[in-house]
Amino acid sequence: MNRQQWLSSTGIIVMLVLLILALIWHLSIGTKTISLIDITHSFYAFDEDNFNHLVIQELRLPRAIIAICVGACLAVSGALMQGVTRNPLADPGLLGMLTGGALAVVYWSTFVHAESLVWLPLVAAIGALISAVIVWGIASRAPGGTTPLNLILSGSAFTAFSAALLAIHHLLDEQTFQEMRTWLVGSLLASDINVLYWCIPWIIIGLGGAIALAPSITALSMGEEVATGLGINIRRRKWQLLACVVILTSVAVALAGPLGFIGLVIPHVVRFWVGADYRWIVPYCILLGAIYLLFIDTLARWIIQPQEVATGLITILIGAPLFIWLVKMRVR
Amino acid sequence: MQLTIRLFEQRFSMRFIKSALLYSVILSLVLLAVMALATSTGSYSVSLHDSFFSLLKQDQWLNDPQASLIIWEFRLPRSLVAALSGALFGLSGALLQNMTRNPLSDPSLVGISQGAALAVVVLTILFPAYIDNYREISAFVGAVLIAVIIQLLRGKGHPLKFILLGIGVAAFISAIISTLLTYGNLQSAMTALSWLAGSTHATGWHDVKTLLIAFIVFICLSVYQARTMSGISLGDEVAIGLGINLKSVMYLQLTISVGAAAIATAVVGPLGFIGLLAPHLARKITRSGPANHLLLTALVGAILVLAADILGKILFAPTQLAAGLVTSLIGAPLFAYLLIRKPS
Repeated sequence: MNRQQWLSSTGIIVMLVLLILALIWHLSIGTKTISLIDITHSFYAFDEDNFNHLVIQELRLPRAIIAICVGACLAVSGALMQGVTRNPLADPGLLGMLTGGALAVVYWSTFVHAESLVWLPLVAAIGALISAVIVWGIASRAPGGTTPLNLILSGSAFTAFSAALLAIHHLLDEQTFQEMRTWLVGSLLASDINVLYWCIPWIIIGLGGAIALAPSITALSMGEEVATGLGINIRRRKWQLLACVVILTSVAVALAGPLGFIGLVIPHVVRFWVGADYRWIVPYCILLGAIYLLFIDTLARWIIQPQEVATGLITILIGAPLFIWLVKMRVR
Repeated sequence: MQLTIRLFEQRFSMRFIKSALLYSVILSLVLLAVMALATSTGSYSVSLHDSFFSLLKQDQWLNDPQASLIIWEFRLPRSLVAALSGALFGLSGALLQNMTRNPLSDPSLVGISQGAALAVVVLTILFPAYIDNYREISAFVGAVLIAVIIQLLRGKGHPLKFILLGIGVAAFISAIISTLLTYGNLQSAMTALSWLAGSTHATGWHDVKTLLIAFIVFICLSVYQARTMSGISLGDEVAIGLGINLKSVMYLQLTISVGAAAIATAVVGPLGFIGLLAPHLARKITRSGPANHLLLTALVGAILVLAADILGKILFAPTQLAAGLVTSLIGAPLFAYLLIRKPS
């Protein structure tokens, strides 16, 4: 074991500890601060009559678990996109996939009136996939191909278009607007733990796929010639990776609405730490994404107590300056 | 077939192509026709006959005595506001595209509209007492501030960075605006929200006056500097070689485009994609010199916003769609088309 590997492995342990600390912080802070003793007791000596135990187990723990899943999914999907497209500015939100997924969910819940949550992740996935294909198609036909600029421009045009569709929909149907308003800015407040049960298989497929494909992403990120030289079937790998990205993004949309810039921020921070090897980047993204979103969500509930800020707004307020910095540093 | 005007010992000179002048006249007529259509459509139906005679103030010929009031108090100012703001957005886009040397620039894409929007929303939510008197000024200050910030961030980098940075800044500002809207006073938030959708209803003669003054000032300024535009579009080196004072012209263009977009935004809210589309459509209609191109762009912008306003009135009647939504719906696909098309 050389020094780099040793550093990276200890890093994973540090991350795990941080994740647990963030989880505890998330569980204890809120409208009512709950002590560490109550939190631990609620896990191994659950008392139905104890109000604190109920708050932890029924309200805060589901929300924390959803935050962990969403953070991990978005961070990994951002990392995969950046690796495959060799584009430091790739992010599921900037490429219109989040709004596309959200649009599909809103249309689905208005026109189909489905009570069942089974199809929600799938509907979001179809929306995200369609928008990814459209944005990618436009950018690849533009002069210069899928450069960061072309992708972002076609992504922002697509976002503007679907935002206008959403606004029209709200104007005509105030009922859904009331129901969907918090969800559409990206919030964990209204997240439903039942949706999570339907998402877990998808999360396992997506994250498992990302970990399994990680070595070939490292090769792909060095360029297509290198990847072919290393014996990788580029076409097939790209389709597999696209499937992973779409699954992960749509799970996040179905759970928490569009949360911007997480897929951009986390992979860059991770790469700063562990270098360019995706066998390390993917697991780090899972952990750091989870920690980050737990932290942001705690912040969102804590800043203006007893109200709470929508989580999606804070991720943008932190992510956008980083995006600006990246443009300044990385675009020649 | 050219017509050249030289004034002030050739310090001011421009060349018009006759066919382009002809098209300007045709477009002006189209604009008048669309205006007439705009004054007669709406939830209260007024026949073209009635709207024609009430515009001439010949009330004795009217079939419906109500028509005159509706036209003069509501429809006419609204149509004029739509047309003037469209012209201002068009001018702003044309100059921005020339300055960044990128055909895809648009004030709403690079954060200028958002800067104006932020200033107005802050004013609406935090200081609702001042909103009527200081809306234009605050929008202008906000837009200029954001443009300066983006320009400072860009430094000496590639003009493309201006757009990328603008998108980042725009996302950041949108998040702040959403925060303010969610946690501000509900009444002010609703006012701000209807303005943010880019709407021309609830506008009056007061707004027409503001926009008209701004339009006259900015169209004169931009025609005055039009001669340098073709030089600048050929690149910095060529422009300097042709004796253009690059720095001062850049500042002038930035001021005009930011100012025009800011004032139009202050009145009707951020209308997307007009500044992007108007110059392209104008160029598609006919080839012309830069000064005439600016005039054509203003006309096309005016027609576009008026058409969007009419569409918004009739698409889902009796619910009225804000013109800004219609322009986004039409503008975004056209933007994608422009992105795909190989540069000629």
